[in-house]
Amino acid sequence: MVSKDCVAMILAGGQGSRLGALTKNVAKPAVPFGGKYRIIDFPLSNCVHSGIDTVGVLTQYQPLELNTYIGNGNPWDLDRSHGGAYVLPPYQSAKAGEWYKGTANAIYQNLSFLDGFNPNHVIILSGDHIYKMNYREMLKAHKASGAAATIAVMPVPWEEASRFGIMNVDEEGTIVEFEEKPANPKSNLASMGIYIFDYKALKRYLEDDERDPESDNDFGKNIIPTMLGNGEKMMSYKFEGYWKDVGTIQSLWEANMDLIDNPPKFDINDRQWPIYSRNMALAPHYVGKNAKIVNSTVTEGCSIYGEVNHSVIFGAVDVGEGSVVRDSVIMPGAKIGDNVTIEKCVIGADAVIESGAKVGVTETEDNKYASKYCTHGIVLVEGGATVLANSDIPKGSMIEQE
Amino acid sequence: MKTNTMGVILTSEDKIPPITDIRANAALPIAGRYRIIDFAVSNMANAGVTNIGVVTESNYSSLMDHIKSGKPWDLDRKNGGLNVLPPSLEQMSLGSIKGNIDMLAGIRDYLKRSPQTYVILSLGNMVYNIDFNDVVDKHVGSQSDVTVVYKNIKGAEDEELSRFTLLDFDADGKVSDIEVQPYYPKTTNASMELYVMEKALLESIIDECSARGDRDFVKDALVKKMLGLRIYGYEYKGYMDKIDSMKSYYRNNMKFLDKEIREELFNRNNPIYTKTKDQSPTKYGEEAVVENSFVSDGCTIDGTVINCVLARGVVVKKGATVKNSIIMQDSVIDVDVDLDHVVFDKEVYVTKGRKLIGQESYPLAISKGTRI
Repeated sequence: MVSKDCVAMILAGGQGSRLGALTKNVAKPAVPFGGKYRIIDFPLSNCVHSGIDTVGVLTQYQPLELNTYIGNGNPWDLDRSHGGAYVLPPYQSAKAGEWYKGTANAIYQNLSFLDGFNPNHVIILSGDHIYKMNYREMLKAHKASGAAATIAVMPVPWEEASRFGIMNVDEEGTIVEFEEKPANPKSNLASMGIYIFDYKALKRYLEDDERDPESDNDFGKNIIPTMLGNGEKMMSYKFEGYWKDVGTIQSLWEANMDLIDNPPKFDINDRQWPIYSRNMALAPHYVGKNAKIVNSTVTEGCSIYGEVNHSVIFGAVDVGEGSVVRDSVIMPGAKIGDNVTIEKCVIGADAVIESGAKVGVTETEDNKYASKYCTHGIVLVEGGATVLANSDIPKGSMIEQE
Repeated sequence: MKTNTMGVILTSEDKIPPITDIRANAALPIAGRYRIIDFAVSNMANAGVTNIGVVTESNYSSLMDHIKSGKPWDLDRKNGGLNVLPPSLEQMSLGSIKGNIDMLAGIRDYLKRSPQTYVILSLGNMVYNIDFNDVVDKHVGSQSDVTVVYKNIKGAEDEELSRFTLLDFDADGKVSDIEVQPYYPKTTNASMELYVMEKALLESIIDECSARGDRDFVKDALVKKMLGLRIYGYEYKGYMDKIDSMKSYYRNNMKFLDKEIREELFNRNNPIYTKTKDQSPTKYGEEAVVENSFVSDGCTIDGTVINCVLARGVVVKKGATVKNSIIMQDSVIDVDVDLDHVVFDKEVYVTKGRKLIGQESYPLAISKGTRI
């Protein structure tokens, strides 16, 4: 078999527990984003545009929807005869069988998959970030430097640096120190969780790490520090574009809002770098006679009869007459009745908001629906849940399915 | 599922200048993101037909580009699948393709090696959403040799009726008369140019007709054989129309603004598939005003759009007004442009401040790539 120059492994097993009811039944990478995408579309599309045609997607938590979504990889042009997209769940073997214990262990358990392609390099990606990045450029830099590993970093505001894994680098960009969430950061270059490894070095370190019973089997906590400690050449690769970890309801909401700013903070209408997704085969959207849509995105299959203001509307959503949707994210198939007011909400897929309801409008001290996940007054309605007619759901609520 | 039935779609010869100058009629964009042929192919695919041949005329490159592997219809199969069958160059250069029998004769080999027993033959450019399962079941369960699908368009004016092949039936429902686009229509039963028969019968009709120099499947084969063949009708009651003129092209696009028709043609149980383009959702700006319109993905709208059908990637800039119009893919309407009753082919660019006004009875049609 012909060897691959670079194989990608996307870590997509995380629950994303801070997304509350949104990830009750689906893994975080399968969460809808940006009107017609899911989070995993971003790393998958980046791979295929970067010329990486072999991608393993490591799933674990609630994998069913993600597995079906990825299927044979065709929407991303990853249905290949040699290579393509592979869903890699944990499996049983003759000797043992266990869950993925950590990010490094997940890759360790799939070393035989990687051996099958005998790659020169492996790029490790995370399935929960929103960004457009040409991995080929990073790979080029990695090869030129001859490093054992190259880690993508981006400058973050100094005041936020202590929330990230921070890389301290010299003038050439060589990593001299790695600090996980430092109290007094020496640099503002945060790791983006994107690593390119020389495959032979990676394999050796993963096998060593597996033998260490004390290890958390994690890239950030174990593999990277050990490699640095052993004096391996580790390079940083600086990325300057838009990148967002959508780990919380608030950051997910905000990242959606970033698409509809004028000009958008993040441009998904980029013909040079389109984001691919599995298509729902829906008709164009219909805008009714009394409808009003401003500063928003709307996609196929929607029927909009009311007002949509500064919102992201996913496919097959109905917004009834006299309804107002403001500063909100409405996920696929949600049905919004007539005379509904929705403000600063994330409405899950196929949720039903019956006529006359008010969601996210009123403010109360004593809110029985309040949730620690719903910060900044955002309301989350779980996919498939129903908000009854004329009910009043206060700001900061999380409405779950019964 | 009709695995025992194959589909044969002939692209019709109706020309609608200027929008058919560069493409076959069947490849005409309609309802924003579709092509006319999507209705026939999707309906067949939804009935479980897995072997479909699309027989083309000369202008087939856009049709081939649209169909490619057949993936959107789930018809990229090892056996059968969706096949574009271009005319033989030899036949074309001799000028010997003069009717649909000649086109069918060109695919004899394909018909012969297809293992199915029945065939659905589509000759027209129609918009409909039909359950072919039921049509084939009725055909198989009946004594008929050929089943022709029709719709009774009661109340239609003569001028409208004259666009169709009209059928008359005897007391048993057997077709007793067929008139192709008669000037004085005698009945209101409009043929949808969809026929179901045994494949072997179609093969023998093709053979007999071409041996005798006959050119037309309806006029020569069905009309002349009416006495010998048992031709029965299947009445379709949903929405249908034929796209054979700019007027009907315009009107049928506008029909998608009607909720009932839209929901009938695009229903979840019988979806219409098309090639996907992976465009981002449509973006509405600060000053966008949109009313009663059908909008595809990838558009950027900052102006006013009223009673329109917009295809993918259309740009309407600030201060521009577009009314009662059909705008195909990637056209750009610049600042302060005023448009009413226009049909734009793909990639038309209207520069700042221009005004173009057509009429409902005569929409102003602009060819692909024109810069105004």
